[in-house]
Formats: sequence, structure tokens, C-alpha cells
Amino acid sequence: MNSQQGPRSVTICLWLMILLLLGSGASAESTGSEAAEADMPKAAAMDVEATEEDAASSNDPLEYSFNRPSYNFNDALDRAILKPIAKGYVAITPQLLRTGITNVYEHFAYLNVILNDILQGKVDQTGSDVARFIFNTTLGIGGIVDVGTAIGLPRHEEDFGQTLAKWGSGEGDYLVIPFLGPSTARDVPDYGTSLLTNPLFYISIANAILIPVAAVGIINKRANLLDATRLRDEAAIDPYTFTREAYRQRRTFLIYDGHPPAEDYDIEKFIDDELELEDEEFDDILLIE
Amino acid sequence: MRHVFNALLVVLLSMSLVSAPSKAAPESGASELVDRVQSTLLDVMQNADQLGYTGRYEQLKPVLISSFDIPYISRLVLGRYWKTLDHDQKTEFIKTFIDYGIAATASLFDGYNGETFRPANEERLESGRVVIRTELVKTDGEIVHLDYLLHEKDGRWYILNVIANGVSDLSLKRAEYTAVIRDQGFDALLAEIREKTAEYKKIAAN
Repeated sequence: MNSQQGPRSVTICLWLMILLLLGSGASAESTGSEAAEADMPKAAAMDVEATEEDAASSNDPLEYSFNRPSYNFNDALDRAILKPIAKGYVAITPQLLRTGITNVYEHFAYLNVILNDILQGKVDQTGSDVARFIFNTTLGIGGIVDVGTAIGLPRHEEDFGQTLAKWGSGEGDYLVIPFLGPSTARDVPDYGTSLLTNPLFYISIANAILIPVAAVGIINKRANLLDATRLRDEAAIDPYTFTREAYRQRRTFLIYDGHPPAEDYDIEKFIDDELELEDEEFDDILLIE
Repeated sequence: MRHVFNALLVVLLSMSLVSAPSKAAPESGASELVDRVQSTLLDVMQNADQLGYTGRYEQLKPVLISSFDIPYISRLVLGRYWKTLDHDQKTEFIKTFIDYGIAATASLFDGYNGETFRPANEERLESGRVVIRTELVKTDGEIVHLDYLLHEKDGRWYILNVIANGVSDLSLKRAEYTAVIRDQGFDALLAEIREKTAEYKKIAAN
């Protein structure tokens, strides 16, 4: 499961809020486009045409009008609230318990994987994942213990966004969704299938425990990401762009089930004429002192 | 984002891909270069503590510089902005970029947890470049796909890119660096990279 899935459905208590926010975001986008243009740095930019070209080539037309503000909102919320809570949670919860909690949330989210195995026509993987789900439900005591992995039924990563890609859908615009993070137009419908295939959603709705169940899921998920976000913070010069590219590349990798064609790795797409013609020498600085 | 960042970690770790000077042959094939790099990588991880940050930096420096085609990578990561720079600016960028790469590697290669590498498989691309696919196996059995893109120049192979679980270091940097130049200019990019370099040094000192 990718980052955005995992226990994605545990965020459902935020679901309506998000829809509302998306609605307001969309309107803010139309009314806020002038402001966004004013925000767009131009003095330092090498040239304006390049800016537009970049926006087109990065397939991120909402970058300044919606995505960066949304990214900054999510980031501020994370730093102020979620990250400190997640750190506290890690400090007071034993690793074994956290692993069990992670397993349970991933287990309940797994029917979405099976659904998308089927939708992509992956027969063998469907069989393996159904068996995995059964073993983890029974021997694994409701998913607490990941028995499947131990007996050779590994966890697969499938979702409706990958299915749409297999069916021929393009990626669509990149999106940063408030509270939820990076996505693309193609990946958004998966929020629906994730939610509707998750037994935890129905169980917690029926027992009026939706909010605590969602809260634990969110905190646990964030805790699992603490190392990763620390590395991002150390490495990223432009965290927004960094996140966008890493997200997309990860998605492509998953769509190819971990085996992208070697030709996709070539850099022809990066090379323009000038680059090849140029033959400047930098040997002086490459000499090892 | 966990997987994305796990992948990133590996990208960063593998940035330093290094061959110990004593083992390095002056001319070598692509697979041999990656093999050397990975065995040296393990070496550096295993000796991380004894070396310390400064020791790792100094050991990595000559190796990094000789294994990667840094001027070529610099052109690629700056995209269309490369040709807008004069020679001094390009030189300054390359120096800053090298220092950053070494510092990041020395900071991140600070220990060893039983990782091993599986043998490489080589594919030649239409362009003549080569992709070497390898797997990093962790002690818990998790496999990380580590792929390298190399090209040949003047009879020698050089690494151009490292792709960890599909996440390309070159593409990430290109996207970031061109975005920073676009929004804030070239000098701001240099300043940001230097700041990151200083942070890695600070982290390592703690």
C-alpha cells in the first residue's frame, strides 16, 4: 500500500470536512487566481516563458493556485499538532504494540487490494491475497499478527488509482488535498473504494467509535512516517516539489508492479540540443586534492 | 509516504556509491563499477563508527568524484537553466553540489544493519547507456530495488543516476533545483544547497 492508502479509511471522520474543504478550495481557486499570480515569484525567475513551460511540463497547473497553499496548510497542521502527538505516542507505546496496531489497520484496508487485484485481472495475486486475508483474520487474530507474510503470502500494493492506470487512464493533474496530502486526479477515486471496502468503517460507524478509531489510525500512521519525514526535511531543498516528484515516481513504480521498463530510466527526455553540443571542461575542480 | 521516503533514504544512501581507491581499476565495465561501488558501500557502512563523519567524508570524496559524472549530472539537474549560467557560476555550482553530495552521504552512511546486495543484471538501452538492476536485501527480508543508469565517456563508465524503488535521484533533484531557480533564482539555489550541506554536518556532529 502506498503512503496515501494504508489505513486510508481511518481518515474518514475527516471525509466530510475534506469534501467541504475541497469545495471551498475549488472556489478559492477561481477567485484566488489573481492573488496566486501575484504570489508567483517572478523577479528572480530567469524568464517568464520558462515559468509557464515548467508549469506545463510538471503537469501541475494547480501548483500556485491550490496545491502549494494546501501543502503549506498540511505542513503547518502537521508541525503544530500531528507530529508532536505522534512523537508522544511513539514515546509511550511499545514497538510491538505499534506493529500490531499498524497490522490491524492495514488488514482492514486490504479488501481494497483484493478488489483491485480482481479489477486488474491478476488471478494468481487475487488468490494469494484472499488466502492472506483469511489467514490474517483467523490465525492472525483479526489482523494483529501478519501471518500471511510469514507463510509466503506477501502484502501487495494495489489500489484503484493503479487500476485506472492499467485501464488506460492518464495521471491527470497533481493535487495536494487538505488533511490528506499528495494525490492526482487519477488517484482521488481510490479514497472512495478504500472507504467503502473497509470493514472498520462500517464497524466503527455502527458502534459510534468512528472518531477514536480514526484518531488512533491517523496518529499511528503518522508515527510510522516520523523517520521518513525527518529524512525529507534533511534532504529536500524544495519540499513541495520533492514530495510531488517522489509521489509520482512511486506511483509509476507501483503501476509497473516494481518492474518499470529499463528504457524509462534513460535521460533522453532531459537532454536538449545545447546540452549535447556543449563541451566545457571542469577538470580543474574535479582533481582530487 | 512511508514507502516514498524509504525509497528516498536508499537513494540518499546510495548517492555515495563509492569505490575504494585501492581497489579501483582505471578502466572498467559498467557492472564492475557498480559491483565495486556496492562492496565499498558496505565497507563504509560497516566501518562508519570508526571513521566518524570526517573520516567518512574524506574517504568518500575521491571515490564519489571518480564514480559519478558530476559535470554531466550538473547539467541535467539544472535543466534549461544550465546554459544561462556563465563558466564561473557553473564551476561554483559543481563545487557546491559535490560538497553537498559528499556531506549527505557521510551523514547518512552512519551504520550497518546487516544489509546485503544481490548480483546485478545489466541492460543496454537504445541510447547506448546502460541500466544495472540490483537488489538490496535487508535483514528482515525486505527488498529494495536499486537501479543505476550509467554512460561511457572516454572509455570509462560513470554513474549518472540511482533509482531506488522507482524513485530517481536525478529526477527529484532536477525538479527541485529548477523550481528553486524559477522561483528564487540561481544564487538562492546555491545558498539553499549550502545550507543543507551545513545541516548534514551539524546532524553528524550531534
